Amino acid sequence: MKSNNVLFIRGVLFLAGIFILGGCENNSGLEDRTYQLVWQDEFDADGAPDESKWAFDLGAGGWGNNELQTYTNDAQNVVVAEGSLKITAINNGGSFSSARIRTQGKFDQAYGRFEARIKLPWGPGIWPAFWMLGADIETNPWPQSGEIDIMEYRGQQPNVIHGSVHGPGYSGGAAITKSYGYANNRFDVEYHVFAVEWGEDFIHYFVDDVLYQVIEPGDLTGEWVFDHPFFMILNVAVGGDYVGFPTSDTPFPQTMNVDYVRVYTEVNGK
Amino acid sequence: MKNKKYNWSAILLIAALVLAGSGSCTRDYDELELVSYPTTPEVFIDGFSAGLNYAAFGGSKVTAFDVDKEVKYQGSASMRFEVPDFEDPLGAYAGGTYFTTVGRDLSGYDALTFWAKASKSATIDLVGFGNDLGESKYLVSMQNVAVNTNWKKYIIPIPDPSRLKQEKGMFFYSEGPEDGLGYTFWIDEVKFEKLGTIAHRQPVILNGDDRVESAVNGLKFPVGGLGVSFNMPTGIDQTVNAAPAYFTFVSSNESVASVDATGLVSVLSEGTAVITATAGGTDAMGSLTVNSSGDFTHAPVPAEDQEDVISIFSNQYVNVPVDFYNGYWQPYQTTTSADFKVGDDDVLFYTNFNFVGIQFTSPTIDATTMTHLHMDVWIPNAVDPADKLAVKLVDMGPDGDLDGTDLTLVYEIAGPLASQSWISVDIPLSGLSSRSKLAQIILERLGSTLTGFYLDNVYLYGSGGGTPTVPTEAAPAPPARDPADVISLFSNAYTNNTVNSWSAEWDDSDVADLQISGDDVKKYTFTNFAGIDFSSDKFDASGMTHFHIDIWTPDDVMSKSLSIKNVDFGGGTAEATSHILTVVHTASGDIPALATGSWVSVDVPITAFTGDQTRSDLAQMVLSSNLSTLYVDNIYFYKSAGGTGTEPAAAAPTPTHAAASVISMFSGAYTNVTVDTWRTDWSAASYEEVTVAGDATKKYSALNFVGIETTSATIDATAMTHVHLDVWSADFTNFGVKLVDFGADGAYGGGDDVEHQLNYPSPARGVWVSYNIPLSDFAGLTTRGHLAQYILVGEPAGATTIWVDNIYFYDDGGTSATGPTAAAPTPPARSAANVVSIFSDAYTNITTDNFDAGWCEGAAVTQVSIAGNNTLKKNAGIVCHGIDFSTNRQNLSSFTHIHFDLYTDDTDLTGDVFNVKLVDFAGGASEASALEVNINTGTTPAIVAGTWVSVDIDITALGGIVTGNLTRSDVAQIGITTANLTNVWYDNIYLWK
Repeated sequence: MKSNNVLFIRGVLFLAGIFILGGCENNSGLEDRTYQLVWQDEFDADGAPDESKWAFDLGAGGWGNNELQTYTNDAQNVVVAEGSLKITAINNGGSFSSARIRTQGKFDQAYGRFEARIKLPWGPGIWPAFWMLGADIETNPWPQSGEIDIMEYRGQQPNVIHGSVHGPGYSGGAAITKSYGYANNRFDVEYHVFAVEWGEDFIHYFVDDVLYQVIEPGDLTGEWVFDHPFFMILNVAVGGDYVGFPTSDTPFPQTMNVDYVRVYTEVNGK
Repeated sequence: MKNKKYNWSAILLIAALVLAGSGSCTRDYDELELVSYPTTPEVFIDGFSAGLNYAAFGGSKVTAFDVDKEVKYQGSASMRFEVPDFEDPLGAYAGGTYFTTVGRDLSGYDALTFWAKASKSATIDLVGFGNDLGESKYLVSMQNVAVNTNWKKYIIPIPDPSRLKQEKGMFFYSEGPEDGLGYTFWIDEVKFEKLGTIAHRQPVILNGDDRVESAVNGLKFPVGGLGVSFNMPTGIDQTVNAAPAYFTFVSSNESVASVDATGLVSVLSEGTAVITATAGGTDAMGSLTVNSSGDFTHAPVPAEDQEDVISIFSNQYVNVPVDFYNGYWQPYQTTTSADFKVGDDDVLFYTNFNFVGIQFTSPTIDATTMTHLHMDVWIPNAVDPADKLAVKLVDMGPDGDLDGTDLTLVYEIAGPLASQSWISVDIPLSGLSSRSKLAQIILERLGSTLTGFYLDNVYLYGSGGGTPTVPTEAAPAPPARDPADVISLFSNAYTNNTVNSWSAEWDDSDVADLQISGDDVKKYTFTNFAGIDFSSDKFDASGMTHFHIDIWTPDDVMSKSLSIKNVDFGGGTAEATSHILTVVHTASGDIPALATGSWVSVDVPITAFTGDQTRSDLAQMVLSSNLSTLYVDNIYFYKSAGGTGTEPAAAAPTPTHAAASVISMFSGAYTNVTVDTWRTDWSAASYEEVTVAGDATKKYSALNFVGIETTSATIDATAMTHVHLDVWSADFTNFGVKLVDFGADGAYGGGDDVEHQLNYPSPARGVWVSYNIPLSDFAGLTTRGHLAQYILVGEPAGATTIWVDNIYFYDDGGTSATGPTAAAPTPPARSAANVVSIFSDAYTNITTDNFDAGWCEGAAVTQVSIAGNNTLKKNAGIVCHGIDFSTNRQNLSSFTHIHFDLYTDDTDLTGDVFNVKLVDFAGGASEASALEVNINTGTTPAIVAGTWVSVDIDITALGGIVTGNLTRSDVAQIGITTANLTNVWYDNIYLWK
């Protein structure tokens, strides 16, 4: 256990409706919350991802989005090295391999703060994501089980990320979503922390502690289903309905570097 | 935008600097360097930004640029560029640069951006910045920028902004017509920006390749392919060309090859060095491995005088204009150029070689007075010994275009090609009939391992420049000949007949006498024709088989001809008959091609002339030509001894059987019976009656089979024992004789016809073969009282020519008991590699130029069949037999034994000698040494009568019957000589190991 297992978050000003945030004024309009670290992977042990924490999704078939890649558990596609998890999309002469890992069956939680420090890949058709699905998805079919996309990104737009929720009546193309971007920076040059803080009646989206989206039950066009445990997923897709297809100009291989994934629960009254 | 602000204080400080520089104040200069420069980002928004100037590039259309207030992306104006049409008199392209007189500090930006559109879809050749009309140290450009009719934003990343502290070059462009057509494009909102959204800088050298180059000391060449790749805001990579100043170059071994700040590599010593680079702290992709083989060896310095040379590439001479030294002919050419200079010596260097063209069409080269093409080639790497380099010299031909009617001289530089040393090649131009419009030299490899070479001193040379000249050397000296075999009109080699006039009064041309290298030559200056008259000393050239004349012209020979007419007076005082030979710019059969600037020896059989070849009363010769100048020498007729190889020169042996015991169908020696036809309708052959050395002979050509008939009076050969015929062919591989007897009814059919065919495979060629065939051998010919058909068969079917003489039946009356009745011992089976056979049925015999070269007047041998085995029988009175294969010389050094079998029926062996001699030419044109095997009655083995004597002797050492010289690496002839032997048969002449 790390000694700094209690994190104090200072809320930041929520700038509603602004697509691109150029300013950096830090003036929180939110009440302070106190979180305690309950689950983490710092990716410090070289080799395959920690089996006690992560399971692999394997295979092809498009994953519901006409994605092109085949997911593998090969080290060339997914490995822990140099202090980070590296998920790499490879072009094998027009067929693509990559990886997708999840905490399903190993860790899930309702509410709290879910964060990951990530340096993203780039290039048209590259679609990395840090996201969550309802842990009851096998008995309670999607979208009723719910989906929280903490971070999605299109490689042809390397200065913008997206945060979304999917649920009954607001799934797929009708998801509730907002984007956050830089006027003069990109997400594939340095690490950035992508996080949601999730409570019984809110989900707040952050990039580097800048709050850019607040979703509350009233914002939804359907039922609030974010009241039960969710598990986390990290993946890099290639192509698909969301991102479009890679071009001959897309540089390969492309790696998503994840420095850490941490999960907290809120400690009330402390 | 936060970054859109002006650093006014900096501009004011610059103003102060200018004042300080122009005043008398003695301010410390170092202090001033701390002053910062303006960071103004705008280049052109709605007009020129502060301090901006424009200059059009040289050769461009200077009015191409203007400010357009109608068409603009935003604001009030844009820059408009009117690209000219092809061949616009005002300029070939649009191009210019926008620059400031005071540098700007652009280090806070990461890209130059602008918006652009065009009147049609097009690609702009080059746009960029950093062109300050001076050093342009930090030049950056983007090639082939696609524009269309919609406004679009373009980004040119700055490879390393920290370098641009005082940049003056703000923007430049260059664009030519598209497919010959001009168009218009507009550019607006040109400015430097800090985008922050371009990332992943990756410098490259050599376009990112890891290249290996062979080199020599002293070579200097730049590291090319410099660029920097960025990932653009769209996620895709884009590379800009970047000046060397953005890079820091490093050599892994400075003592082998150093590299300076501009990326210029200098090769210093033998060894290997790897050149790499960084830019902005990032390692560049790509490297250059330099393998130096040490000091450069300059090509040999050419010795010819400038006035005798037309130089294409040499530092020794003034070179003619050359279109290119590498045509980069797509798509098949892989050859690239890495030409270099060591000291003052420029050298062409072809790499990745498969073929390359050097072209010189403006103007083409008139090499009429040139005799050779010279070039020096150096191959740095090892080459397969089988590989060769072909040199093709191309003349445009009469149409003056490079197309299908070009004339090409192909010369192969034979392998093994030397590596790491200069190969000097001097290619005679005589094979190129016209060389007044030379346009290309094409070099092509034959093989696969020759991947590159240096080339230097490519030039044509000749006897002298400028005007057409005389031959520099004498015509080839004619060979020594027996005076009886030559009738010469003009030659220093022979005794000449009297000639009345070398340019008769009735001709329209002129003649002059001159000497070249001590040799007399006639020079004709033609209008139309020249007459040579020797009517006061007419001669009979009937015994001569060939005509010879050497000619030389300085003229372009394309479309030119020379005709030679021999005039026979037929015993009278004026032309009765004539025959003509015409020489043109291409060779045909025996007639060579005209050539410019080299001696051409016209040496042809009389049969090459057209017309009546009667030559018993020759009186005049007429030379007609549209050439202006012709030098002639060595005009003579001669008799080719022993045959030409394609037709018999000597008559068939005269038969010796007593007329009383002969029934002759065709022979000059006997009275012949009536023959109905010498070629039946159903034959597959052509038939001619010819004379060979005055002897009437039957000639069948295109022979498959020919039928001869005596049906009106069948021959009763019941009293005869043999049939005889003499056959000569240069080309038959099989000969067959079929006899048909019509039976008792004396007519075709009737059920009583009998016939039989005998075949003689591998008959001797080029000699008269005498067949004396026992009629008993025709086993199926059970009757011979009414012989009516005689069929001769030749192979290859339909492509055989034979001469036939002395066809008769005879009764040997028991007189043929002399001579061997058994064949010579059959040689053992041997691997073909271990035998060189001259004459044997057991092995494959080598090709000879002349199997019976007539060294001792007439045919030396007759091939006979002894018990079905081809055997040579010495002809009566002849004591030497020459076998010439000088164009198929044999290196017999590794062969250890010579073999031959001989048989004599002489009763008196006193003084009998049989010699076999291997004649070695030692690379020359005549005998240099000889190895002889001498057999007589006292040697081992010895000549013994009445039995085959097999001689099979080791020739690796002298001694015993082996005499002379053991050298046998260039054996061109075999000579067999005899003394005192009356009758001798021999067979199985071969060498083995």
